[in-house]
Amino acid sequence: MLELFHWEPNCGSLKVLVALHEKGLDFTSRWVDFISLDQYGLAPFADPEAAMTIEGEAPVLVHDGAVISDSFNTILYLDEAFAAPALQPATAEGQWRIQVWARQFAEVLAPAVCTLGCQRYLTAALAQRDRAALGARAAKIAVQERRAAWEAALTGSYPQAQLEDSRRKVGLVLAKVEAALAQSDWLLTTGYSLADIDLFGLANPLPSLVPDVVGAAALPRFNAWLERVRARPAVRVALARSRSGHPEQAFAPGPEHSRWG
Amino acid sequence: MLALYHWEPNANSGKPMLALAEKGVEFESRYLDLLNFDQHKPEYLKINPNGTIPAMVHDGLMLTESTAIMEYADAAFQGPPLRPRDPVERWRMRWWMKFFDQYFGPSLSMIGWSIFVGPSVRSRDPEQLKAAIERIPLKERRVAWSKAIYGSFSPEELAESRRRVVFGVGAIEAALTRHPWIAGNSYSLADMNGFNMVYAVPLSVPEVCNDQATPHILEWLRKIYERPATKKIWAMGHTQMAARVGYLARSK
Repeated sequence: MLELFHWEPNCGSLKVLVALHEKGLDFTSRWVDFISLDQYGLAPFADPEAAMTIEGEAPVLVHDGAVISDSFNTILYLDEAFAAPALQPATAEGQWRIQVWARQFAEVLAPAVCTLGCQRYLTAALAQRDRAALGARAAKIAVQERRAAWEAALTGSYPQAQLEDSRRKVGLVLAKVEAALAQSDWLLTTGYSLADIDLFGLANPLPSLVPDVVGAAALPRFNAWLERVRARPAVRVALARSRSGHPEQAFAPGPEHSRWG
Repeated sequence: MLALYHWEPNANSGKPMLALAEKGVEFESRYLDLLNFDQHKPEYLKINPNGTIPAMVHDGLMLTESTAIMEYADAAFQGPPLRPRDPVERWRMRWWMKFFDQYFGPSLSMIGWSIFVGPSVRSRDPEQLKAAIERIPLKERRVAWSKAIYGSFSPEELAESRRRVVFGVGAIEAALTRHPWIAGNSYSLADMNGFNMVYAVPLSVPEVCNDQATPHILEWLRKIYERPATKKIWAMGHTQMAARVGYLARSK
């Protein structure tokens, strides 16, 4: 049995939902409101690896009792545990390319997108909630980095330098994406793959979040790619799981920026 | 043709070296002295324009990213499988490699660079050092090298790195209490990845990682040290750095 504990289809939750639908798998959706911090009271999120995730607030898959976390490694798991349709090329080179993209998305793009998204949307969403109660819940989070991320979110402290650095990082990674898309409709020349799904979770919110960074004039191929991915039936179904109607505005603290600068 | 550009068997360079040795694949070793900035010299930038090591060239394909190279090595070559067949264990192998690469490793190396790399290169001619830093192609790497060379990690940053290393040691010990290897019941790429950084921990923070406090980690390190592939790769070190691993020999 497959059970996915996820929030609105954005970032990690979006990736795993898309992969499940692309694979045509039956699963039970457990919708969890990440910004109420309900996930900290649910058993799968307390699994050793899930609790220590460096991805920030992210979905957790439970497959016949095994708890699978980290969104990129979860979609890789789904592709390897369930055969068809394959979402990775059969070659060592193609699989290596997916992993190299994943590293850049996880380490450079995800912290940047989440910082910008949290500053823009999470701060406003938290203003509508009982911040004292949320603060009390956040204070009980065991892992220090995750607790600190929520404390920063609750005070809305996003330094200007980090916001500027985040915009720079989005531009840096998308320039590489734009160059890759000159060769092919998809990130890999062999066709649509986990690399596209991995990127899409972070890319879908960008046109409304940083329109000046990702405009069609600067990044025409990226924008055309985004429309191609959005048109896929599995992606439509995944996005239709939104309860708010605006999944691209659903942000919770993500991974940290590299501490090496 | 298979060539590996690497430094000492340690951290990122040691990961693909160890995976290739476990796989039983012969490779041409191209040693670059990291502390002499060989990786930023024009002849190497022709091979890898980013100036990072390790890099592997296989039949004309240039591969970077140490952990991704390990997976490539397992997928591309004949030999014993280095990734578990069971999808859950394979997932766990990757979860931990990400933890080592993006959480534990950066904190441990911040400590290592501040006490080892920085002082060892700071004695060089300042003008030459400045020129060497300016040649580094990637901005992120330029910033990292500058911090290491000029010792500009703040006491707070170093204290936070130490806290993370201690947290990581606890997490690794707990994982090895649940199963004999990092991913589960078989020796995998995650153990090779982890060994390349964790072997240095009982030396650099002996008060938190030792036979009494973390017996599972020490036993795990010794089992890996005893493997023929590990012995072969650590014998390829050019400096005293590689010899440090000898503390893992069991007393007779």
